[in-house]
Amino acid sequence: MLDATTVLAEINGNIATVGYGLAAIGPAIGVGIVVGKTIEGVARQPELAGQLQVLMYIGIAFTEALAFIGIATYFIFV
Amino acid sequence: MTSALPRPPQPTSVPVLRRILLYGAVLAGAIAVVGAVIGGVVAGGSGVVSALIGTLMAVVFMGITAGSILVANRFAGTSAAIGAFFGIVMGGWLVKFVVFLVLMVLLKDQSWIQPVVLFLSIIAGVIGSLLVDVFVLMRSRVPYVSDVTLPPSTSED
Repeated sequence: MLDATTVLAEINGNIATVGYGLAAIGPAIGVGIVVGKTIEGVARQPELAGQLQVLMYIGIAFTEALAFIGIATYFIFV
Repeated sequence: MTSALPRPPQPTSVPVLRRILLYGAVLAGAIAVVGAVIGGVVAGGSGVVSALIGTLMAVVFMGITAGSILVANRFAGTSAAIGAFFGIVMGGWLVKFVVFLVLMVLLKDQSWIQPVVLFLSIIAGVIGSLLVDVFVLMRSRVPYVSDVTLPPSTSED
């Protein structure tokens, strides 16, 4: 029979699944900031929407590249 | 309120994003060829398949962002523009990552996949796609003014 501390501290499965969670934190914050700031900019100056969209796209692309590489490490680290 | 134009003017980012998609596709072809050759030399037939799948995944998933912005820009000028824009772009982003995760889980244990080749070609595709983005952005001039309606020239729209 297991006592409470053993049950609470037990970890099953592959520790690499934690890696996805870690890989998701950074890009999530990054994309949130990028998109939020774009909303702010478009709200202030709607006529700049075109320029802000391009800059937002570049920001998202660089940030999501981290997420892609982080998830893709599943292929080699597991 | 916008006037009753037959088609509201598109933001000035549209041609830039189209160019990013086009050049990205061209570069993806180049990376796929090089990757397939290297994969074939290193790991045989499964290496070729892995390199092609990896490059395709990287470029398609990176391109979905630009594509979703282009789709969302079709709502420009309507009252739902802001909501539709961020709904489509962020929704596309979320769906993309879910599909990417599912693909990873499905492909991981296939016998016809070389994980290292797939991983390296995904990285090559992602970095190549970033290079294309920056290159196109540096070479493009985005006008400041996007949704101001000028007196009609009616030559092109």
